[in-house]
Amino acid sequence: MSTLLEVSGVTVTFDGFRAINNLSVQFAEAELRAIIGPNGAGKTTFMDIVTGKTKPDEGSVIWGDKNTSLLGMSESQIAREGIGRKFQKPTVFEDQTVRQNLAMALKNPRGPFAVLMHKKTPENAARIEEIATEIGLSDQLTRTAGELSHGQKQWLEIGMLLAQDPKLLLVDEPAAGMTVEEREKTTDILRRAAETRAVVVVEHDMEFVRRLGCKVTVLHEGSVLAEGSLDHVTSNKTVVDVYLGRAHA
Amino acid sequence: MQNTFIARNPSVLWFLAALGLFTAIVTLMSEATGVGLISTSFVKTLGKTLCLCLIAIAMDVVWGYCGILSLGHFAFFGIGGYAIGMWLMYARTEAIVVPNLMAQTIPPTPQEISDAIGNQIFGVVGSSEFPMIWGFADSLFLQLLMVVLVPGLLALVFGWLAFRSRVTGVYLSILTQAMTLALALYLFQNDSGLRGNNGLSGLQNIPGFEDTPQATISIVFFLASAFALAAGYVFFAWIVSGKMGSVVKGIRDNEARVRFLGYHVESYKLFIFTITAIVAGIAGALYYPQAGIINPGEIAPIASIYLAVWVAIGGRGRLYGAVIGAAFVSLLSSWFTGGGAPPINLGFYTIQWTDWWLVLLGVSFVAVTLFFPKGIGGLFDYLVRKQP
Amino acid sequence: MRYLVLALAVWLGTFVSAQAQTVQDILQVHADEIAKPSRRSVSVALDDLVASGLPQVPVFLEQWSARNVWQRDDGQFFIGDADGDDLALTDIDTGAASFALKSEFTQIRPNGGVRRVIGTALVQFQLSDPDLGRRETAVASIARRPEAAQLAPLLASIEGEPDAALKARKVQLANFLSARFADDPADRIAAINSLSSDTSVEARSVLNQILTTEPGVSASEPEGNIARVLDPMIDPDGFYAQLVEAELAPSRTPPDVIRAALEANVVEGRVGDVPVAQLGTDQMREAAYAQLADAGLVASLVTVSDRDAAIAAHVFFETYDEADPTITAAAEAALASVEQRVAFAQAADLALDGLSLASIYFLAAIGLAITFGVMGVINMAHGEFIMMGAYTGYVVQLFIPDYTLSIIVALPLAFAITFGAGVSMERLVIRHLYHRPLETLLATFGISIALQQLAKNIFGTQARPLTSPGWLDGAWVISDVIQISYIRIAIFILALLFLALILYVLKRTRLGLEVRAVTQNPGMAASMGINPDRINMLTFGLGSGIAGIAGVAIGLYAKVTSEMGTDYIVQSFMTVVVGGVGNVWGTLLGASMIGFLQKGIEWLNPSNTLAAQTYMILFIILFIQFRPKGIIALKGRAAAD
Repeated sequence: MSTLLEVSGVTVTFDGFRAINNLSVQFAEAELRAIIGPNGAGKTTFMDIVTGKTKPDEGSVIWGDKNTSLLGMSESQIAREGIGRKFQKPTVFEDQTVRQNLAMALKNPRGPFAVLMHKKTPENAARIEEIATEIGLSDQLTRTAGELSHGQKQWLEIGMLLAQDPKLLLVDEPAAGMTVEEREKTTDILRRAAETRAVVVVEHDMEFVRRLGCKVTVLHEGSVLAEGSLDHVTSNKTVVDVYLGRAHA
Repeated sequence: MQNTFIARNPSVLWFLAALGLFTAIVTLMSEATGVGLISTSFVKTLGKTLCLCLIAIAMDVVWGYCGILSLGHFAFFGIGGYAIGMWLMYARTEAIVVPNLMAQTIPPTPQEISDAIGNQIFGVVGSSEFPMIWGFADSLFLQLLMVVLVPGLLALVFGWLAFRSRVTGVYLSILTQAMTLALALYLFQNDSGLRGNNGLSGLQNIPGFEDTPQATISIVFFLASAFALAAGYVFFAWIVSGKMGSVVKGIRDNEARVRFLGYHVESYKLFIFTITAIVAGIAGALYYPQAGIINPGEIAPIASIYLAVWVAIGGRGRLYGAVIGAAFVSLLSSWFTGGGAPPINLGFYTIQWTDWWLVLLGVSFVAVTLFFPKGIGGLFDYLVRKQP
Repeated sequence: MRYLVLALAVWLGTFVSAQAQTVQDILQVHADEIAKPSRRSVSVALDDLVASGLPQVPVFLEQWSARNVWQRDDGQFFIGDADGDDLALTDIDTGAASFALKSEFTQIRPNGGVRRVIGTALVQFQLSDPDLGRRETAVASIARRPEAAQLAPLLASIEGEPDAALKARKVQLANFLSARFADDPADRIAAINSLSSDTSVEARSVLNQILTTEPGVSASEPEGNIARVLDPMIDPDGFYAQLVEAELAPSRTPPDVIRAALEANVVEGRVGDVPVAQLGTDQMREAAYAQLADAGLVASLVTVSDRDAAIAAHVFFETYDEADPTITAAAEAALASVEQRVAFAQAADLALDGLSLASIYFLAAIGLAITFGVMGVINMAHGEFIMMGAYTGYVVQLFIPDYTLSIIVALPLAFAITFGAGVSMERLVIRHLYHRPLETLLATFGISIALQQLAKNIFGTQARPLTSPGWLDGAWVISDVIQISYIRIAIFILALLFLALILYVLKRTRLGLEVRAVTQNPGMAASMGINPDRINMLTFGLGSGIAGIAGVAIGLYAKVTSEMGTDYIVQSFMTVVVGGVGNVWGTLLGASMIGFLQKGIEWLNPSNTLAAQTYMILFIILFIQFRPKGIIALKGRAAAD
């Protein structure tokens, strides 16, 4: 399996505080990966770096077959390269319908003039239906996104990421605030998505991570502490000390 | 396509119908048709109000839809006015000066003509030379081009600088206000080449139509303004209703999300900022020939803030709201400050509305912001939705 | 020392030659000039009188100037005091008193010009007068109108001058006079060189007077002490006019003359053989004019190439009035050195101006910065709080006539009133808009126009005075170039006090701790038991209160009008934006940058403060490009959104 994204030797400092410290991590083209770590471990900052929101002081972020560097690209360029990001809080456009939300995310030309001259096509409509079915919102397409439940908003946002057709999906705490059934559904969606692309899930909830059943990377103080299956990392002494130990103490 | 556009924007048909009816009534009642129920000066006021409605919908698009509270759009309006004013003033002065020179024994040289016109125009600021920026003033076509190009280019450059460095929210508002102030201060100088604080005057006299009565000219401009407003309304409705509107509203509600969806947010903002600036310029070019005079005071930052006030009172995010707000507040304002409103005698104090109108406006503006954030348009929506 | 010997020689010489005379003798010699003095003729008599060295001369000169000298019918002069028909006489030489009938005497009435000449002569005597006031007047009079003749007496009076300050002044003045009038070029050069470190306006004017030039033109190499040779092509028309004036070239034919000549010579619709209708270009007009000139009807045309040829054939230059090149060279060198020092002094003065402007902006903006930083709220009515403060000061002065006391009362009162206004505004309006910052901007703008109009309705449109106490009048003069008014110093000190106070409140008090906590993380602060509502209210009150105090300070030197707030609001915003939000030091840096920048641009373009402001705003717009979050930006997560 070839490497999709390679982060190596990245360091970020905020006012003397090292949020990310010589972090190196790799992701393959089609895998599901969970990133866990205590508060302040640098999980969100890591996503900020990959998506271009934060510029690292040192290190490199190499992307795809052509080994392009993501540093120096803008957020929108990186998004167009094929990296989708889901925020911690559900961020959908609450004033617009589910269909409009998905239509905006569909992989189409992104320039203002192309958008201005955009016409509805049957292909796009079909794709929207397909994604809506995938995320279980096919009967909600004409509703305003603001009227959806919390879980539905989370799925809509995941749906928007899928509509972008990204090669890598970064998902920040998708299960937060969800009921048990909703979590199961979310797990299913993510697992299915990971069959054709890389999906990286940042999560606090151990149960959720266990359900994903994938490789786990533990971050601590801005660098990788351990990597492997969940059972492997949870048996790691240091991990237990810095993270689980405290959590269960 | 046309069908779906109208279907998505039911307000467009209603608006066009109402505007058409209003225009027809005013035209029939005006002095130009001989009925004379509406005076020429009131026709001008109405025509100017239509221009203000046009810039108000531009403001609504940039603020209500795109979330950029620009405190600079009146500057673009003023630039449009200055651009057309330069031609009006030049051509009018030329029409007066040249026959005089021709009547002399020897035909004038081009230099003599230019000096004589320059003397007439720039005498008030102690100069007679034409500044560089008047280079195209003799051509109506080029100056009309300036009406579109200058606000457009200024907005493009300013917007590019501001959006590129991710200046947003309140910062951006302050920055646009600073731009407006800089422009106004520049124009206030005598050596700005635009007659300093005298501004450009006599713009109501249209060269080539010296013999046409103002009653007719005012109706022509009124109709032109109505047409521009209708065209602007349809144009902006088209822009904000399609996928473009989706993206633009998305930027207003959550800029970062739009960015992470792969849209280059800055381009969109720049597009909206520039296109609305151009429409503002066109509105100004129609307004000032009806006002007759333009001076730097018109561009002062306060004017742009009033523009925001109109849109807020009318209701943001709905184009007809902007039209209602601009028409309602500006007409009310001229009614109150023009002495039309009756004073209220409280026994111990008489409220003169010329003194108290601004207090009333300020307070009611605060009230609208607090209690009716959707403005008059919101009320309108509520009533329309309740019917069926 | 050399001056002293010289002076002594002059003094002794006059003393010896004067022995045998009385004042009356001298007066009789010049009786006509004395009786009917004119500015020109009187100097001969004066020279003799002064040269006589008689002790009575100064008294006589004073009385003469005061129109108290009378001439008897027989030609004798007396000092007289008219009393009705009588005249109380004093003998000029002996001082003996007598009485006589006025009708036998004629009063001598020297006109203003003559009295000035007499005054100049008198100065020499007054320089050594026992009365300090008179000596000072004399010195001042020399300084006002320096003349060569005054040098020697001035030098002579230095030695015996008891007053140290006046002595120093005399030495300085003697130096100025030596530079211009000393006989020995070496003395002059020495004096000139000593001026090279003197930046006073007086010294510079001395040097400039030595260096006065006259424009000149000649066909050959110029003679005399040439200051510079000029390039006539910078202003060919101007230099050609100089040639015409010197009668070295025929005058040019301006377009209107050509036009008039053509109009006067139209024959059957033609001028020469050119039809009138074709005279609409300069070339055709000149061609037609040339034909007229050939026919001898008009003076021949001086074309541009004629003009250039004439200019090229001559040398244009400036000559010094001073003939000695060594002296002018020394003066040029001294002036260059002085001007360099003046430039430094001006830079220092500019820095002081910038500092005082920065203090004003700091005072005006710090309240805004606090509310913006802590609450993310832009208060458009901030300028109106400044105005309220200023009007508070004005109203207090209506009740308390003592200006010092009224200011002391006004400062806390203005704080209290604007604090109250700020708190009520926060409670009534802003509290409800915390999640809609752009709408706060608009709502506070509504309040701003209402307050402005309200002030207009109450206080009228005309400017109201806010008078500063007497001890704040005037300026601290460091040199002729560097000076700063006391009010600006006071405002600077006030700004420093507030900087210290705000830093103290924010860093050392419980309130400050809570404010900082709310700024950094409102949610967390609330969960720690801090009531953000209370903090917001107090912060807003504090910010507004400081605006009130700033208003009193600004009112002291600017006009108090209902619109004064708008003059400061944009600059205050700029200060906050440039400085960076939520940091007192940022505001300080922002205010300094804008203050210094504005003064700097004004200095580059002093005639046009409007342009200066325009350029400054453009600069700020560009600055924001490079530091979008201001000079001091919050970093990390807090700054992300």
